Amino acid sequence: MSITPVHYIAVPLLAAFLIPLLAKLHKELVRIVPGLVFLYFLIISVTLMQQLPETGTISEVIAGWSAPWGINLVFSPFSGFLASLMSFIGFLAWLYSYRFKKVDFAQSQKYFILLMMLVTGSIGIVLTGDIFNLFVFLEIVAISSYSLTSFYSGRDSAEAAFKQLLIGSFASAFILLGILILYTQTGTLNMADLATKVHLIAPSVKISILVLFLVGFGIEAEMFPLNGWAPDVYSQAPGPIGSVFAGVVVKAGIYALIRVLYTIFDIPEITHLLIILGVITMIIAEVAALRQDNLKRMLAYSSIGQMGVVLIAFGIGTNTAIFAALFLMFNHAIIKSMLFFSSSYLLYNSTTKAITHLTGFAKKMPFVAFIFALGAFAIVGLPPFSGFWSKLYLLMAAADQKMLLLIGTILVISVVEIIYYFRVIGKLYYGKEENNIEIQKPSINGYIVMGILGAIIIVVGVYPDLITGIIHNAADALSDKSTYIQSVITENIVR
Amino acid sequence: MSFDYQNIVTISVYGSAIALILIGIYAVLIKKNLIKIVIGMSIVDAGIHLLFVAIGYINNGTAPIFSPGNEDRVLDMVDPVPQALVLTAIVIGFATTAVALALVIRLYKHHGSASIDNIKSLKW
Repeated sequence: MSITPVHYIAVPLLAAFLIPLLAKLHKELVRIVPGLVFLYFLIISVTLMQQLPETGTISEVIAGWSAPWGINLVFSPFSGFLASLMSFIGFLAWLYSYRFKKVDFAQSQKYFILLMMLVTGSIGIVLTGDIFNLFVFLEIVAISSYSLTSFYSGRDSAEAAFKQLLIGSFASAFILLGILILYTQTGTLNMADLATKVHLIAPSVKISILVLFLVGFGIEAEMFPLNGWAPDVYSQAPGPIGSVFAGVVVKAGIYALIRVLYTIFDIPEITHLLIILGVITMIIAEVAALRQDNLKRMLAYSSIGQMGVVLIAFGIGTNTAIFAALFLMFNHAIIKSMLFFSSSYLLYNSTTKAITHLTGFAKKMPFVAFIFALGAFAIVGLPPFSGFWSKLYLLMAAADQKMLLLIGTILVISVVEIIYYFRVIGKLYYGKEENNIEIQKPSINGYIVMGILGAIIIVVGVYPDLITGIIHNAADALSDKSTYIQSVITENIVR
Repeated sequence: MSFDYQNIVTISVYGSAIALILIGIYAVLIKKNLIKIVIGMSIVDAGIHLLFVAIGYINNGTAPIFSPGNEDRVLDMVDPVPQALVLTAIVIGFATTAVALALVIRLYKHHGSASIDNIKSLKW
């Protein structure tokens, strides 16, 4: 049986059905089986990515009806890169949460199944070639995230989940309306087929479809002013889930937005709109992060600001800019996940999650504090860590287009980032130590996960060529619409 | 525009679907009781589903099934794709409403009131 992209979807759904049955055999299977699924994801990611240079974009047809009438999964260099990144972050999240908190059996069953569904839904969003299938996977991600946000039984987490649910249901309603109007105008739901037929729609209808999709997918991609749900959700969800949200789910949201805007619509003026929205998102999120005293909310606002920078990079639109955007997404996934992982252990016994709780922690938990400092240095873009290269490429792309005001804004916002991150590092390393706070030493899994991510940051920072080859192929695959359309509709069909 | 029977039916179906969507959005934005907000979300879903099914309809159309005696009425068949999409969307809407109601129960237990004005511990 050869390995095809449908294994990304079929295997975890089968495992999710079987886990409650297997749990009656032996209770530890609830924690082990999702780990095996994530390990399988890693294996098929590596296998399919290695097959890509020989076969080109793999487009797989599900259930026998070939595109454009049936659903197909497309594994291009761009979507394959994102799917591999998401499976890697998912595997690390499973490894980290294997013994994270002492939750009892019934709750841990829910947690691991939902974690698996969250990552599967995001990979499904990235791999699918049909716009209604995109909506279905978006709903899988949404319902899993509502349940995971309200996992701990406090009052704040229920409020955060309800806010997310209200705004998320509006997102689904608008996306569904957009799909409806698109279907009545063109008669097809396949994204490659839509790309060939969109120029037949009248401009007024095209603008209304575009606005509906912009609002709907912008809610998932945390654009301003649609990101009010994000700080509450990131701060109330369990620690590993916060890093899965920041590293996997928001990438899927941005992917859906970019796929719809770039591949289906091809309007030149959309780039200016994306740059403006990205700048507003970045400025408001980073300035709001300055006045937070809750560490996880600060990280959440920083994450929203980084996504604003990614939107700016996608908005500039040249090949260098798309390369910079993908490199920024890769770096943000790795570094922000590491920051969330380490801050979960720093705040383990704190009820208020305040930064002032962290005075002098560097002496009690030296490794975790070092990992947090490493992540902070990397995300503001200091060399020799990997965040430096992505910001450099972004500024180079902006300089090619002579957008000097944009370069100035990004650099000023980088200074703002430095202020609030170094404030935390200062508290960690130079604060006065208090003796009556008990800490929680990380389990061996936590050490391994944080160590792996830290090593990746340092290695990619010193040798960026390890990753830039893959990201260059991904950027080329995104900006080249005709290859995508050809590989879906005519050639390279795997049955 | 001639006011025959088909036109009136089409206009009233589309109009009521859009009216349902607008009523649902009004309920989510203005109402203060948590249960009414969840009902508003459900009404928005119902409006969108009705709009989807109405899009696929052809006047004097027949069901899109090749039964004996109906094989040559292909041009008259109602579009089956929106109907399949609506089935999926109904299930998704039902699951979301179930999760929403579970959260409403938890919020009521913690705060003691079902009014959204009292639930504001998480701000900027």
